[in-house]
Amino acid sequence: MENAIELSSVSKRFGKQIAVDDLNLQVPSGAIYGFIGPNGSGKTTTLRMILRIIQPDSGEVRVLGKSEGKTADDELGYLPEERGMYKRMKVRQLLIYFARLKGMRNCKSEVDRWLEKLGAAEWSNKKIEMLSKGMAQKIQFISAIVARPRLVILDEPFSGLDPVNMEVLRDAVFELRNYGTTIIFSTHDMDMAQQMCDTIFMIFRGKKVLDGTLDEIQSSFPANRVKVTLSDPEKEFPGIPEIKDLTRDRNDFEFEMIHPDRKQAILQRIASQVAIDRFEVIRPTLHEIFIRIAKPDIGNGKGQSVDAGQIQRRNYLEGGK
Amino acid sequence: MFKIFTIAIREYWAMVATKAFLISIVMMPVLMFGGIFAMKTLTRVGGIQERKILVYDGTGRLFGRLSLEATSQNAVAEAMQEESHSNDGIRKPGGLEQNEKYVLEKVQADLLTNELRLEISEKIESGDYYAFVEIPADIITRKPDITQVQKTGDVARAIPAIEFRSQSSALATARQWFQIKITNAIRDIRLKDLEIDPLKVTQASQPVLVRGLGLFELDQEGNVKESREEDNVLTAIFMPFGVMMLMFMVIFLAAQPALESVLEEKSQKIAEVLLGSANPFQLMIGKLLGVVGGSLTVFSVYISGIVYFASSQNYEIPFQILPWFIVFQVLGVFFFAAMFMAVGASVNQLKEAQSMLLPIWMLMMSPMMVWFIIIRDPNGSIATGMSLFPPATPTALMLRMATGQTIPIWQPLVGLILMVISTLLVVHIASRIFRVGILWQGKTPSVRELVRWAFSNQ
Repeated sequence: MENAIELSSVSKRFGKQIAVDDLNLQVPSGAIYGFIGPNGSGKTTTLRMILRIIQPDSGEVRVLGKSEGKTADDELGYLPEERGMYKRMKVRQLLIYFARLKGMRNCKSEVDRWLEKLGAAEWSNKKIEMLSKGMAQKIQFISAIVARPRLVILDEPFSGLDPVNMEVLRDAVFELRNYGTTIIFSTHDMDMAQQMCDTIFMIFRGKKVLDGTLDEIQSSFPANRVKVTLSDPEKEFPGIPEIKDLTRDRNDFEFEMIHPDRKQAILQRIASQVAIDRFEVIRPTLHEIFIRIAKPDIGNGKGQSVDAGQIQRRNYLEGGK
Repeated sequence: MFKIFTIAIREYWAMVATKAFLISIVMMPVLMFGGIFAMKTLTRVGGIQERKILVYDGTGRLFGRLSLEATSQNAVAEAMQEESHSNDGIRKPGGLEQNEKYVLEKVQADLLTNELRLEISEKIESGDYYAFVEIPADIITRKPDITQVQKTGDVARAIPAIEFRSQSSALATARQWFQIKITNAIRDIRLKDLEIDPLKVTQASQPVLVRGLGLFELDQEGNVKESREEDNVLTAIFMPFGVMMLMFMVIFLAAQPALESVLEEKSQKIAEVLLGSANPFQLMIGKLLGVVGGSLTVFSVYISGIVYFASSQNYEIPFQILPWFIVFQVLGVFFFAAMFMAVGASVNQLKEAQSMLLPIWMLMMSPMMVWFIIIRDPNGSIATGMSLFPPATPTALMLRMATGQTIPIWQPLVGLILMVISTLLVVHIASRIFRVGILWQGKTPSVRELVRWAFSNQ
């Protein structure tokens, strides 16, 4: 299948700051592709280059088969992280305007269909400034997808939504995917990324550090955390030198193995001292993986660098695929 | 193209369909021209004022004549008042003194002492009287004091004077009335003393009028035609002034909303959504076309008002300058709205925009600072220079054309060419600043940074 987005050796710097450094990325058509990365890691710059709001210094940005252009493709929809709508315009008027800006001339029925679908029809003649945050979010979402784009970039589409509205928008996203729309989904919410995305891409300090399905990503990281449930809640956990970061929740214990390949020996040592109901090696969550990559840098605030080579090794794709 | 028009149409409605726009379209002319008419109207609102004035006539020959003059003045004032209540609101020309009636009272004393003067002053202060006029006994025969002129050079002080005292003598209309009436009365007495018939003198000194007229020209059938009469100074001044102000208003009323709209898009983060659909140049051109449309709407509103008013007053409108006006209006709006938009894109708040707008304002207002020099000499060097200095071209050229004087045809043409070139340049530079500025969220850029935005290739 053709790729919706192809980035080849793309770099962008602002003054002395390298925002995106030699980035390669292929987003297949029809995928829900998660973009994650800490603040200031180059995510927005990458998105803006895909949108052609800014041009790369070097490399090629190919979007929906085109590598040139001063404007984003009309078949590309964009929901920016910071919502922006004309406060004094009426909802329906605004949606028609944004649809027309995407070159869609006969857009009224599509606007009405989406207003109806997201339960916003009764707001169509209200001014934007009258809307609640959740309602405004839904309208902004409609503005991004109303022109039936083949590729949609959603930057934090669910932030600030209540669970009911979140469900409504999530269904809408899945519906778009069913029509074959490619969706780039940028978020800080790792659980949401884990739930929704087929593939996840992480950018850190302008470089790609993760790119693959959740399964591929998880299996590329050592599974070094263990959950143990003791049979007797009164018992203390035996002292074992090969573990660290032990936490307890009643008779459930969780710890990190210093040498994951010694899990059999660890299990035997625990079982020889106390009766256990469960011993489970758990895979790292996306959240944990994110923290493992980004924390050394964000945590101490001194910008202590993560060894770029180490990131490369962790990233199975960079050397492999 | 479809996108540019979509943007233009939204921009047009965003500009025109606001309360602020409707208010400003009404208020601008009211503020600019209203003051002139308001003063005339307001002076009549209070009705006729009766002024009781004490007169000490040292000559013993003037009071009777002044009383007669006052009686006739009062009759005129009353008649005018009647008329202004009954007529259609168009007033006959006349001085301010028509709102005042004078009741003159003779001071019953042979000699005026300072004690008496103080007593009268107190009466004026308490409101019993309005003013006190003291006519010296020798006023009819007294000669101007030449030595005084030679000593001080002050001619005004050397002329024989009557003293008018009130709480605000300098501005009193009554003082001006006395000035005229006493001068006439004394002249007549002097003539009588010389046994000359004052009537004959009046006839002999009948003034003649020097009428200001335009030049002869050929009409369409080739006949020699006398040009219209330049009826009065007011028309000669008001027509060019009005045309200049109209140009200023149609440009200003378009440039300001352009700035506000860009600022809204920037501060409300709409810019990023827009730039995901249209490039900065499309966005800027669309917006400019929108405000040009808005500006032409303002123009058509004003021009219909002006045509209606002028036809009801039989004023002649110089329709031949309208095509020039529209061309320069469109260029002027492009020129200034582009600058305003570049400023809007560079700042985060309207407050920050003010200091950046100041130099642009100065450019815009420059012909207004010398407008009187221009209309007095529409082909002078200042007028010509202003017309060929692009930011001032639209206003200055229209001001000159509205005077009715012939301007060498190369001047509007060269002005037009210069204006087109500089408008393209300004729009180009402004769009580069706009492109960077619209996504810029940091501190307000310095002039150096703006120059870098305009000329870098980022």
